[in-house]
Amino acid sequence: MSAAIHLAGANLHYAAVAYVERSLKALLASAVRRAPRPAVRDVHALRDVTLEIGPGERVGLMGRNGAGKTTLLRAIAGLYPLSSGSLEVSGAVRGLFELALGFEPDATGRENILYRGLLLGLTPAQARAIEPDVVAFADLGEFIDYPLRTYSAGMLVRLAFAITTSVGGEVLLIDEVIGAGDAAFMAKARKRIDDVIARAEILVLSSHDFASLQRLCIRGIVLHHGRVVYDGAIDSAIDEYRRLNGLV
Amino acid sequence: MDYLRKIWQARYFWTHLALSDLRTRWRRSFLGALWSLIQPLAMTALLTLVFARIFKTDMLRYAPYIFSGMITWDFVAATVSSGSLAFVQADAYIKQTRHPLAIYTLRTALTNLCVFAFASVGLVIWVLSAMPGNFGWSWLSALLIYPLLLTTGWTIATCLAFFATRFRDIPHALGLLLQALWFVSPVYFEADVFHKAGLAALVDYNPIYHLLQIVRAPLLSGQWPTLTNLLFALAVPAVFGLLAWGLGRALERRVIFYL
Repeated sequence: MSAAIHLAGANLHYAAVAYVERSLKALLASAVRRAPRPAVRDVHALRDVTLEIGPGERVGLMGRNGAGKTTLLRAIAGLYPLSSGSLEVSGAVRGLFELALGFEPDATGRENILYRGLLLGLTPAQARAIEPDVVAFADLGEFIDYPLRTYSAGMLVRLAFAITTSVGGEVLLIDEVIGAGDAAFMAKARKRIDDVIARAEILVLSSHDFASLQRLCIRGIVLHHGRVVYDGAIDSAIDEYRRLNGLV
Repeated sequence: MDYLRKIWQARYFWTHLALSDLRTRWRRSFLGALWSLIQPLAMTALLTLVFARIFKTDMLRYAPYIFSGMITWDFVAATVSSGSLAFVQADAYIKQTRHPLAIYTLRTALTNLCVFAFASVGLVIWVLSAMPGNFGWSWLSALLIYPLLLTTGWTIATCLAFFATRFRDIPHALGLLLQALWFVSPVYFEADVFHKAGLAALVDYNPIYHLLQIVRAPLLSGQWPTLTNLLFALAVPAVFGLLAWGLGRALERRVIFYL
């Protein structure tokens, strides 16, 4: 099966009630309050997004904070429900959104390979099967048998990236985190992503780091206030992003 | 059905979560798992001393009654109150992968069931040595308590978790409600006390009483639980299971906005 992502006219609203009226007290208070409170409207996080991403594509996602990068990735992963429009994803989705997640700080790196593997839906046998590969790729030396609390951010990235890319799956979504890796790691990550793409899979990477975007991606998408404002080659996408934000 | 299948597919993940909860609970304490036994035992000793005097009953017979009530009630209270926050607690996982939400309440129920199972072994040993005459085939029926407790705790916790994620007052209100429920149920007080006081309805129509009878009838009197006991004990998970299913259909996808 070849991987693909189709988004057509996708809109996504964050329910504003989630940020106010958290408690019954607030709910009751609003019933008796005479002066209306400043209305909090639903956050319109994605506006009419239409995208086609086909097998073997590697896409870089750019935009300022709050432009909708993370929301778009999480919507593709099926975590956030769309308020309108359609989303079809073929292929198993693997997301790398937040680093410390699914990790247990008191367990060793090796144990955490098992835990995160289980989180991603592997059986214990499968998780043990990917272990040598992950250990080799993460290249943490003796630290692999140390508790995770002793790891630096860069080491966490290496471990998390190694696990997520070893698990397999056709659509790889990576949010920001990759920037914490050092240069040697970036070179390895690039090779790894080449392998992933060679299997006709998809990479969508969101980042503020133009250098890693240029190294890893071919196509670039610029988001601005929840809209896709540019979609094309990565270099021109970076130029467009710079122009849009007055960085030139 | 598809939902249940997905829960089954994620089984390695939630069993791992439950086990790691148990490890955290017992880590770095010298007696470790034994605390799950010592705590209710000590409490039972205390309550027996007082209640046996007040109600003028035989201490040796009354103590296992209190103990059986205590460990079962502890399971229900712990599962319901911490289960209501299961989604909030698992927000990191929910924001990262798409597993059925019910696995997070299942994790809470499973963790507490292990604690209960451990304490229940203590109960069995106690009853075997104190009242060996009760031993018989009827004891097989007591095994039903494990699946019954698991499904009861799981379904109630799932229903509550949907609300508690939005209204963070629920856990506080729940403490009050649980105390009230405990007070009107024959958890520590004997059913006869309620009957004599003309409060028979609090026993006869109380699912908590019937659930407790699944353990108490065989272990403490050597009898089979009645069909009524079983039907009441099954009705609770059935009702809450349906409710949880309905709530899940309406709210499951939106929970992530409230985390």
